[in-house]
Amino acid sequence: MELQDMKNRAAVVGVGYTAEQGTVPGRSALSFAMEATKNAIEDAGLKKDDIDGLLIQPVIGMQSYTVASYLGFDNLKLLANEDVMGASGACLAIHAALAVASGQVNYVLCLYGTNGKSGRGGPAGPGAGGGGPPRIVGTNAAYGLFGASAEYALAASRGMHVLGTGPETWADIAINQRKWANLNPRATFYKKTMNREEYYAEPWIAEPLRRADCCLVSDGGRAYIVTTAERARDLKQPPVYIAGMGQNHHTADIAQNIHTTGPTGAQKSGEAAFKMAGITTKEIDACEIYDCFTYTVEITLQSYGFFKPGEGKDFFKNGRTAPGGEFPVNTSGGLLSEVYYMGFTPFTEGVAQLRGQCGDRQINDPHFILSSSNGGILQTHGTVILTNEDVGNHIKE
Amino acid sequence: MTQGAGPMNRGGGPMGPGGGPPRGGPGGPSVVTAPQQQGYAKPLPGIDEENKPFWDYAKKHELRMQKCLQCGKIYYPPSSLCPHCHSWQGSEWVKLSGKGQVYSFIVARRATNPAFAKEVPYVVAIIETEEGGRLISNVVGCKPEDVKIGMPVEVLFDDVTEEVTLPKFKPAS
Repeated sequence: MELQDMKNRAAVVGVGYTAEQGTVPGRSALSFAMEATKNAIEDAGLKKDDIDGLLIQPVIGMQSYTVASYLGFDNLKLLANEDVMGASGACLAIHAALAVASGQVNYVLCLYGTNGKSGRGGPAGPGAGGGGPPRIVGTNAAYGLFGASAEYALAASRGMHVLGTGPETWADIAINQRKWANLNPRATFYKKTMNREEYYAEPWIAEPLRRADCCLVSDGGRAYIVTTAERARDLKQPPVYIAGMGQNHHTADIAQNIHTTGPTGAQKSGEAAFKMAGITTKEIDACEIYDCFTYTVEITLQSYGFFKPGEGKDFFKNGRTAPGGEFPVNTSGGLLSEVYYMGFTPFTEGVAQLRGQCGDRQINDPHFILSSSNGGILQTHGTVILTNEDVGNHIKE
Repeated sequence: MTQGAGPMNRGGGPMGPGGGPPRGGPGGPSVVTAPQQQGYAKPLPGIDEENKPFWDYAKKHELRMQKCLQCGKIYYPPSSLCPHCHSWQGSEWVKLSGKGQVYSFIVARRATNPAFAKEVPYVVAIIETEEGGRLISNVVGCKPEDVKIGMPVEVLFDDVTEEVTLPKFKPAS
C-alpha cells in the first residue's frame, strides 16, 4: 500500500463540544469527556453502540478502560490511551484513520476532557509539557525552570536570535487570533478584544513570552469520530475527509532539542501529509495550528514551508492571518483565545470550517485545511490535511 | 573513569550507585530521591541511578558528562545508553573545561515557585559546553539584561546544601 492510497479513505463524521467551556468549576475531567462523547455521537447521527473504537488523550487519573466503562461501551475493538502530549489531537485521528481503513473497526471515538482550570485533571501542573522523566524535570526546577511556558520561552528566545522575529511578530499572531475569538461565541475571549498596546502591557510569564503569548488553561472537553469515507457519506453531517496525514517526533528535551528554530516535526510530517493529499501549500485555504504559544505558530508555519526562515517577521503583519486576511490561521481563536483542549481545539475547528458551520467566523468556501498538533517543547508533531472535496481513493473501493 | 559494561553493572566505577544491587532493571530509573533540604527551600535535583555520578562530581566541583566509549560523543542527560549510537559499551565520565556559551536564555520575572521570590529577575539558560554537551543552568554574576545568546561563560559551583552542588555559569573572565 502506498501513502497516497490512504487519501480520503477516512473521514471525520462527528464533533462533540461541551456546552460550557473555559472556567467551569465543580466538575470532573471525566464528566466533560462523557458530555463531549454524547454530543459527538449525536452530531454524527450515530448510536452509542455504533462506537467500536475509543482512543483517549489521558489527563491525570484518566485511563481508556475506565472512561470506556463509564461510557458503557461493551464491544470495543480498539481501545487505548494515546499520549504524545499536545500532538495527540492529530495523532489520534491518524491512528483512527488507519484503524478504520484496515477494516478492524468502524467508528473510532477520539476523546479529551479536562478540568485543568478549576480542578486538577489537566496538563497544567508543574513541569507540564516538559515531558521528561523526574530527573530532567527535577533538575530544571532546581534552576528555577518551571513548566512549558518557561521552556517554550527558551525556544522563542533562540528564535529571536536566529530568525529575527520576536514580540513584534508574536503580537500580530496573538492579536490576529484574538480577532477570530471575538467572532466565536464559544471562545473564552469572545468579548475581550486586544490591541497592540494591550499586548505589550501583558505581564511577563517568562521573558521573552508575555501572558498573551501563552495558551489558556481550560475546563471542558472535545471529541470527534472517525470512520470510513463510505460510511461517512450516509451520515448526518457533510463528510470531512482526511486527505493527508503524517507524524514526526524529534522527542529531545529542551536542552538537547536542536529543532527549536526549525524545522520542527511539522516539516517531515507535513511533507508526508502533502504527498498523501497530492497538494502543496498553495492549495491550503486555512491553517488550524497548535498554538500553545505564539512562537509555536510562527515556527510551525515556517517548518511547513509557508514562509522561509527569516520571513516570519513580515508574514503576520497587516492582519494577514486575521478575519478578512488572505491567510486565515486559528479561526476559533485557538489555544490562545478560544480554549485549551490540546490538539483537539485546532483539529475540530478545521472540521467545523469545512462543514461550513462556523457562523460569523466562517471562512469563504474552504476546500483544504491543514491542522497541526504539537506536543512537549516542540518534541512531537502530527499533521492532518482535511478536505470536504469528495474525490479520492475511496471511489476505487 | 569508566562506567560499567552493561546495564546491570553500572556500579563498577567509584561514582556508581554505591555497590549495592541495582534497584532498577535496565529499563530506566526506578528511584528518584530528593536529597535532604537542610533549610534550603528551593527544589533540588531528582537524583537517581543514572544521574548520580553527575551530581557526585558536581559536589567535588567538577563538571563531567558521559562520553560514549564506542562513538566518542558527549551526551547529556546521564543515561545507560548512548543516544547517538546505542552502544552498551559504557561511557567515560570526562571532565569538561567548564567553558561554554549561552545557547538560549530566559529572564524569569515572577516566582513560579515562592522559593525563588528573592531571586527574580533571574536567568535560566541552555548552556552549550565547549565539548558540545548542553545543560540547563543559571547565568549569574551579571545583570539579566547583559546576558546575550552566544556569550562566553564559565562554570562555578554553588554548594546549595551539604549534599548538593549546582553547577552554574558566569560571564567568562
